[in-house]
Amino acid sequence: MTSDSTRSRINLNVNGRYHDLDIEYRDTLLDVLRERLDLTGAKRACDRGECGSCTVLVDEKPMLACNLLAVQVRSKAVTTVEGLAQRPDFARILDAFIAEDGGQCGFCVPGFAVAAYAALQHDTPLDATALRWELVGHTCRCNAYDRIAAAANAAVNGGAR
Amino acid sequence: MTQSPTLIGQSLPRVGLDAKVAGSADYTADLKRAGMLYGRILRSPHPHARIVRIDTSRALALAGVHAVVTYEDVVPDVRIDADLAPLDRTLRFVGDEVAVVAAESESVAEDALALIEVEYEVLAPVFDSHDALAQDAPKLHISGNLVGGSVLDVMRGNTDTGLAGAARVFEGRFHTQMHGPVGMETRAALAEWDGDNLTVWKTSRAVHAVDRNTLARVLGVAPEKVRVICTTMGGGFGNKDEGRLASLTALAARKAGRPVRIEYSRVEEFIAGRNRQESDIDLRIGVAADGSPVAIDMQATMNAGAYVASGMGVTRRIGQGALYLYTCENARFRGTTVYTNRPAGGSFRGLGAPLGHFALEVTIDQIAHALGVDPMDYRLAHHVTLVGQPGQRTTPLGELVPDQPVEGGVPFSSNGLRECILQGAQAIGWRARRQANGGASGDVVRGIGMALGNYKGGGNVNSSAEVTVAPDGRVRVAVGIVDVGQGSETILATIVAETLGAPVANIEMILADTATTPPAHTTAGSTTTMTSGNAVKQAAEDALRQMREVSAGAGDFSSMAAGLTGEVTGAASLTSGSTEAVINSFAAHFAEVEVDKLTGRIRVLRYVAAHDSGRIINPRMAENQVSGGVLQFLGIAMREELLIDKHSGVTLNPGFLEHKSTSIVDFPAIEVLFCGEPDPLGPFGAKALGEPPVVPVFAAISNAFANATGVWLHEVPFTPARVLAALKAGGAS
Repeated sequence: MTSDSTRSRINLNVNGRYHDLDIEYRDTLLDVLRERLDLTGAKRACDRGECGSCTVLVDEKPMLACNLLAVQVRSKAVTTVEGLAQRPDFARILDAFIAEDGGQCGFCVPGFAVAAYAALQHDTPLDATALRWELVGHTCRCNAYDRIAAAANAAVNGGAR
Repeated sequence: MTQSPTLIGQSLPRVGLDAKVAGSADYTADLKRAGMLYGRILRSPHPHARIVRIDTSRALALAGVHAVVTYEDVVPDVRIDADLAPLDRTLRFVGDEVAVVAAESESVAEDALALIEVEYEVLAPVFDSHDALAQDAPKLHISGNLVGGSVLDVMRGNTDTGLAGAARVFEGRFHTQMHGPVGMETRAALAEWDGDNLTVWKTSRAVHAVDRNTLARVLGVAPEKVRVICTTMGGGFGNKDEGRLASLTALAARKAGRPVRIEYSRVEEFIAGRNRQESDIDLRIGVAADGSPVAIDMQATMNAGAYVASGMGVTRRIGQGALYLYTCENARFRGTTVYTNRPAGGSFRGLGAPLGHFALEVTIDQIAHALGVDPMDYRLAHHVTLVGQPGQRTTPLGELVPDQPVEGGVPFSSNGLRECILQGAQAIGWRARRQANGGASGDVVRGIGMALGNYKGGGNVNSSAEVTVAPDGRVRVAVGIVDVGQGSETILATIVAETLGAPVANIEMILADTATTPPAHTTAGSTTTMTSGNAVKQAAEDALRQMREVSAGAGDFSSMAAGLTGEVTGAASLTSGSTEAVINSFAAHFAEVEVDKLTGRIRVLRYVAAHDSGRIINPRMAENQVSGGVLQFLGIAMREELLIDKHSGVTLNPGFLEHKSTSIVDFPAIEVLFCGEPDPLGPFGAKALGEPPVVPVFAAISNAFANATGVWLHEVPFTPARVLAALKAGGAS
């Protein structure tokens, strides 16, 4: 294996639980979540911060897990879509995406759902147009954008235009 | 059936969307097996080369590496497709597969790739399809660079005499770009051996029709020993149909003696996934003195890249509009498919139809303009009607040869084209908003345009299904197709629930597993609703018949189920379609654009898509499908393009940003209308919807642009540079 200078032991807080992990410095947060912790809700679609499919909350702010090294978040609280799914207020997101058919193949959808959840927490309300701009960093190759925008709007604004 | 339909047209929730939103749906790359290794692929740095020597010893010596697979591990002459070996000594594009490493992590596997020493004999490449057809061009394959050894040539009537007798002949030359389908999920495969039994989980469109047999052939085991499963697909778009990645994964797993998973990176997906090929299209349309089309003659050349996969099928579909969309005695399509040292081509949503329709519908617009007729009125006067094309069909099915009529004398099963035109025009306000071409002055001008589309879907493939009803009322549906993301699982569940009169919540769907589902077709050609939809409907009817026998025909579904002493299974196996009718879906699209003549930027202001896909089973999902298809192709119309360096063959922009993927703010919300009547052959009257939404998009934009500026765009994508060049060449101020 690689030499010790390339490895680190970290205690990673994910979804409220601590995980003692021996990792390589070069391991991204995304790969540690997916391959070490079996949290596969964050998807690896571009692996370089272009598409939003790997969005997680780091200290409650949406971040791209593929653009972070795991060692960078060792003192932070990481919440994945699996963690959000346990929170009561995530039901608003889930219900809206199902009701509005927010997605097709679904690969990008967890990323959109995490971002929409973060948008719920905004101090100032976001109208339908502002919400689209809030989600602009997320790519959907099915281009299910109209339904995803409708779902996010239904979740955040109760469907008001 | 005595009950009145209750679930059809109700917009039931998409099956599995709850798990997708919550991140618990399993896609192939989310799967793990005990002791699983990670694979990475070494790729050719040369567009055309031959491996002289390959030394894997240093890679194998790296700690954590368990196996390296090269062409020497492959049975000689075994093929995935006719032109494709699992690994080959000859490499035909930059990115062609050279070797596979299986290691304990992706990082280690990646490290090991750098330790493989390869000595290449570099061969002369050819990138341009016309150059590749020259006598002295480097040959990619033993069979030569002309795919299939001949030009595809199909004709109805005689276009030579038709053109010679025409009052006027309109001509145009068109070009479309190479671009990547690139679903959000990259290609992935996971292979596990148990003795000589192989299980492969993979991204797929055809676990039965393609994958199982391909793997059995490549690995040298009986098909019964191979199980292929596709758990959840992260976007197909007609792509992800080839077996190379799964073959390499299985070879690596066998050599390493452990399960192996390989997942393409995004760059690999762009380079080594199958791309939409570049096309050049020449079109001539002859019209009579009264303006009606008397001859349509289209010729197309497709640059298929290094391997063709379904490339011939792609080429064939270019001619679909030219041959069928307008009533015309004489029509001909010639398609040439050419190997070059560019990344391999394959099928993508719509196959060649959006390309051919681009040429056809722009030329039709130009004809109407030249004749001084509103282009909508011209289309209303000449579009093909329910009776189909004139002439006589001599070969009902199968290969068509030159000089034989093409589908002449055969009616459509249904044809809602006229309603699509009328309702779409009303929605966008055609009469009020249409202006004389180039009528407006100023730097920023607006225009609206339209284009039609037809797409043959549904027919001539096999599917089968099993519907099992338990006494507690639960229903298990086994059908072998893959839901690639378009929503077939939901549509099939709805059809079964409707047929049985069962609550949809009782339906459990089992798809895409060769061990647990009966054989099925590839998810391709917009066939699933028609083919597997009819299969599950017939299987459900069979189950219902058995339930009625047990209960002597009394009661509703729940009471009949409760009367069962054990499970009953209804089964069906069928070939969809008809020799008496052609099944086509139809569309009329309308776009309003704003053109900035100084910057060359086109902004889409409104877009109306009116569709005849028969009866719509799930309106919200159907709207999603149409809106997504239109947005996908607006992105391709405006800017998506894969750029290949003309000297090195290197793909220059293999990423979402550089390839310019569409975002959620680029276009207005698409206005979707459904205008079709129930189709007599479709399940509950439904027709195909997967690909039709993408067919008219390029032409609708070019025609709207022409309404604004007086100039038509002939090259996709309509980038600012191309727009400015077209305006300059067209003499627009």
